[in-house]
Amino acid sequence: MSRPTPVLFALYRGALRLYPSRLRLVYQDEMLQTVRDADAERSYSALYFWLYLFADLAKSSLKERLFMIRNQILARPIFFYTLALALILTLWGFPAALTLQGALRGAADQPQIQMAQNYASQIASGHLPSDLLPREHIDPSYSLEPFSIFYGADGSPLRSTGYIGDSIPTLPPGVFAYLRTHSTDKFTWQPQPGLRIAAFAQRVDGPHPGFILVGRSLALVQQQANYLRLGTLVSWLFLMALLVAGAYFLNRFPRATANPAPTG
Amino acid sequence: MREVSNPAAEPSLPLTPAVFAILLALAGGEKHGYAIMKEAALPQGGGINLGPGTLYGTLDRLIRDSLVEETGLTDDARRRYYRLTQQGHRALASETERLTVSLRTARSRTAVNGVRV
Repeated sequence: MSRPTPVLFALYRGALRLYPSRLRLVYQDEMLQTVRDADAERSYSALYFWLYLFADLAKSSLKERLFMIRNQILARPIFFYTLALALILTLWGFPAALTLQGALRGAADQPQIQMAQNYASQIASGHLPSDLLPREHIDPSYSLEPFSIFYGADGSPLRSTGYIGDSIPTLPPGVFAYLRTHSTDKFTWQPQPGLRIAAFAQRVDGPHPGFILVGRSLALVQQQANYLRLGTLVSWLFLMALLVAGAYFLNRFPRATANPAPTG
Repeated sequence: MREVSNPAAEPSLPLTPAVFAILLALAGGEKHGYAIMKEAALPQGGGINLGPGTLYGTLDRLIRDSLVEETGLTDDARRRYYRLTQQGHRALASETERLTVSLRTARSRTAVNGVRV
């Protein structure tokens, strides 16, 4: 008997680990013997021979792994159903939570929109902003109340009920540029780190041109969104644990067969 | 004690070229793995180049499907011999019949078109 190239043979023997263990245990010796036999009788180059063997090994080991997975699924379909159900619940649950979170944020834009439209309409009809906006000092860092700011045509604040500390918060200039062409803008404004505001701004035309902004702290909405995220995560973990436990017990205590197979 | 075995399912046709070549090789008598490989590579054996991985993976499934069985006769654990079961013979016969019908049709159609097969 001729000896195959020792290094390649050892490599091939090691690569047999790519096969499922049961197949390897049953056929490993036979496969190696077949390689020895084929090598002893081969009439073509060693390079082609080993390339062919390794290609066959890669292809067939992948195929056997897939067969093994299929057989495992068929042998225990409960795990497959569990996985499918978990996937469906995940794919349904997380987008639903995201939609709910979006709805929460959307609802936070009221009553600002309504208030800004009212102010804009009254200012446009001749009322003075100083007569309309009450003398209040609302700090959105501490208060959840809506506040209003009237900016002049050049963007400078003329009247405000909203303050951070003692100063009127400054809007980014890009907002005014946008309002000059689009009339209204709805956005989340972060005048300082940690403070997010649901803001609605509208351009005002007429005898007192400028911009009216009404905003409200998003602290409550953020808190609700955090609860929603936490609730979603906990519910998801609970459902997954329930599914795994159900699958485990169903697999551990299979249904009794109605007609047991004869044994004697 | 009587033995009860589940009736094995009939194999679905068509058989893959590798399965057909293995059954065909074993139809000529019991053989070990390398002998099956050699015979499958011959034109009359199907002309299929079976690597060891493909051969033993397929053999394993054929044994589980009760188309092939080990003879149990060997003086070397590295060279086990395999043979066809009755079901394996039936599967081979069914596939041969299916191929014969296809071949007959192909011959008649190519003859009409003036091509000799």
